Amino acid sequence: MALAGNRILDFTRLGFGAQATLICGCLGADVIRVESTTRPDPIRVMPPYVPEPGRHGEGFGAATLANATAATSPNRGGIFYKYNTGGKRSITVDARHPEGLALLKRLVAEVDVVTESFAAGTLERWGLGYDVMAAIKPELVYVSMCGFGHEGPDTRHVTMGPTAQALTGLTFLTGLPDRAPSGWSFSYLDHVGGYLGAVAILCGLLHRRRSGAGQHIDVSQLEPATALSGAILLDALCNGRPARRPGFPTGNRRDHPPSAPGGAYRALGPDRWVVISCRTEGQWSALVEVLGRPDWAGDPRFATLAGRVEHADDLDRHLEAWTRTLDRYEVMDLLQGAGVPAGAVQDAADRLERDPQLAARGHFTMLGNDEVAPLPLEGLPVRMSATPPRTGGLFDRGPPCLGQDNEQVLGELLGLSADEVAALAADGALS
Amino acid sequence: MREDPPGQAPLAGVRVLECADPSVEYGGRLLAGLGADVVKAEPPEGCESRHSGPFVDDAPGPDRCLAFWADNVGKRSVVPADDAELAGLCTRADVVLHSLGPAEAARRGLGFDALHRARPELIVCALTPFGQSGPWADYLADDLVLMALGGSMAACGYGPGPDGDYDTPPLACMGDQAWRTAATYAAIAVLAALAWRDDGGTGQFIDVSAHECSASMTEWHLMTYLCSGAVHRRGPHPTLTAADGRLVAALNPDFLGPHVFAGMLAMLEAEGVAGPLSDPQFADPGYRSANYREVWRALKRLAALHDGEALYRLGQGAGLPWGVIRSPEEVVEDRHLRARGHFVALEHPELDRSVTYPGAPFLAHGSPWVMTRRPPRLGEHTAEVRAEWSAAPGAR
Repeated sequence: MALAGNRILDFTRLGFGAQATLICGCLGADVIRVESTTRPDPIRVMPPYVPEPGRHGEGFGAATLANATAATSPNRGGIFYKYNTGGKRSITVDARHPEGLALLKRLVAEVDVVTESFAAGTLERWGLGYDVMAAIKPELVYVSMCGFGHEGPDTRHVTMGPTAQALTGLTFLTGLPDRAPSGWSFSYLDHVGGYLGAVAILCGLLHRRRSGAGQHIDVSQLEPATALSGAILLDALCNGRPARRPGFPTGNRRDHPPSAPGGAYRALGPDRWVVISCRTEGQWSALVEVLGRPDWAGDPRFATLAGRVEHADDLDRHLEAWTRTLDRYEVMDLLQGAGVPAGAVQDAADRLERDPQLAARGHFTMLGNDEVAPLPLEGLPVRMSATPPRTGGLFDRGPPCLGQDNEQVLGELLGLSADEVAALAADGALS
Repeated sequence: MREDPPGQAPLAGVRVLECADPSVEYGGRLLAGLGADVVKAEPPEGCESRHSGPFVDDAPGPDRCLAFWADNVGKRSVVPADDAELAGLCTRADVVLHSLGPAEAARRGLGFDALHRARPELIVCALTPFGQSGPWADYLADDLVLMALGGSMAACGYGPGPDGDYDTPPLACMGDQAWRTAATYAAIAVLAALAWRDDGGTGQFIDVSAHECSASMTEWHLMTYLCSGAVHRRGPHPTLTAADGRLVAALNPDFLGPHVFAGMLAMLEAEGVAGPLSDPQFADPGYRSANYREVWRALKRLAALHDGEALYRLGQGAGLPWGVIRSPEEVVEDRHLRARGHFVALEHPELDRSVTYPGAPFLAHGSPWVMTRRPPRLGEHTAEVRAEWSAAPGAR
């Protein structure tokens, strides 16, 4: 695998940082999560909980007795399983314990990369700031990932995905015209921030290979997002056409390049939708053929793309009268078969159970651990011919139970015997 | 704080040939920012993204397209005489980024086997809507189709009415987010392939399916379904309306610990709007949850006192992850991003203007982001690239 031989000491928690090391793990890096038994990663103990084999657990956010029981284990938090594939290992070390801090310093000497997603200043308070780590290992690549980064006037600000989405324009760009934005209902920027965190790790490793030098790379959750508004930002800055204007954003309609029909249309069934998008005359003609050349399609107003754009509301009404009589996948297959871009609006269940493309591409890998039966989990969704990424990472395994690798990692990297590890644990250093 | 001395860009000397529709351009832009020499091979009339609006000053022209500018800053442009010259350029590159299926790639002389035979060190990355294989491999997609199939749309939009039915559709964020996600994954895979090649490996073929990349998002939604059988239903996050009408995303993550509510309460009391929340019963999470309406009422009283930007800063001062909802152009004014030197103005001398672009996606003082070259005019660098790329690059 591409990053085999690279070792990452990984202090990340929650989604943003863990997404970055997940990617590196799938590329073959040995990712060693450093965790705490007293302050576990919140997503280890948050619902939804992975159920006992064959049973359903409880829904997200529900505070029930069953959840309280499940929460006694740090290995059942469902979201942890989303962000911690890639064969990550887990050790528990208490940085506030003198022996624990000493162990962490010895581990820094044995790794290529340190990653963390704490508030700025946390590692310094432990006595493990960048200057300390760089003195131990000058060629260390240190990648910090936190909301506002480590430099600038507002480094004390805290973010979750929706915070960063609001501040960077991405919430604004999701909504129907002349209404408050709906925004995203998940933390898109936890993912995107993590992608750029992975780019930062690779950037540091490639730079070190050429120069021999380590460095600190400071990833915030804001900067990875600013280029995502593309031409919309430049239109405001160059043409004085602000995005905050009547009629904008435009819902699912896209002006550049224009498509008509273009949008989500109701299909058969409750809250079922299918997206259709025609940009060319060829696609429009093909759509009309699939529809069986209805009279309305011959309306002169719909004869050109410009006309279809101008009269899109009428066009959409006619088209939806057809789509709502059919299953969304049937619409999709009929239109795609004729060369018209179309796609069912799929939810999580659809991706797992209905999507034949994800299944054929092996998108999901069944992985579990000592406590959790195998689940279909995701990894790095690209194919590489010479160095295939693996969702189970270097060791072909599922997300780790808390602290399950203490003995192995400390033995392998630092030469500690099982007795020495047991003594450290008894002393409280491994908590 | 220790600051690393500036060194060379990590991809200095790496040649990338980009021969692609708009879908992969953002990935090429990332590689250019890391210092690669990214050359865009275009047909004589210019690539697709030069022909769609908006245009600078609303005057159409292949060198005036803002979508092209946004995703091609830092690159060079060549117009090869024919496919044979294009294939020749590919064999003198380190990386080829394209957006072709297997048949089209072979027809144009860009099939991986042929390129690999000519130059075993070459890394070829194809980003297509559904990847090179599978039952949907020949299906067509734009960003909206990918956002639908990937699950983002099902999760985004307005909530249902009182009857539980939705009267508005699932929504996709503007700005081609699925393509950008896929292009970012393409850049990640290329970087990993370069690192492996540096360590003694060969070139290889990278197959990126935008659909799979798009399907890898949505945070906890797959896990919720796997754990509970429940499907996430769409609806917005709660917002507060500030005195100036601006909206503030007001997240109050109680799950992170009792300090979250303690910080909020101190803020509300200092502002004189805490009302019943000062009752010690509200310190109990169960009681608070059962009476959350009172929490929200107090926050609304606070919001009425302040403009949006001030309300955002007030919440942050109390340790809450609040953010004012900004339009893209309002982001440029952010003092923190300005202090980090994020936005970069590049001269466009032929238009006698300077244009501000989003810059480095992270701060790497030891290998600074490269942001010096404005987007290329069509074919601007044909002659110089022909001369410079007349032989394969030296070993790195």
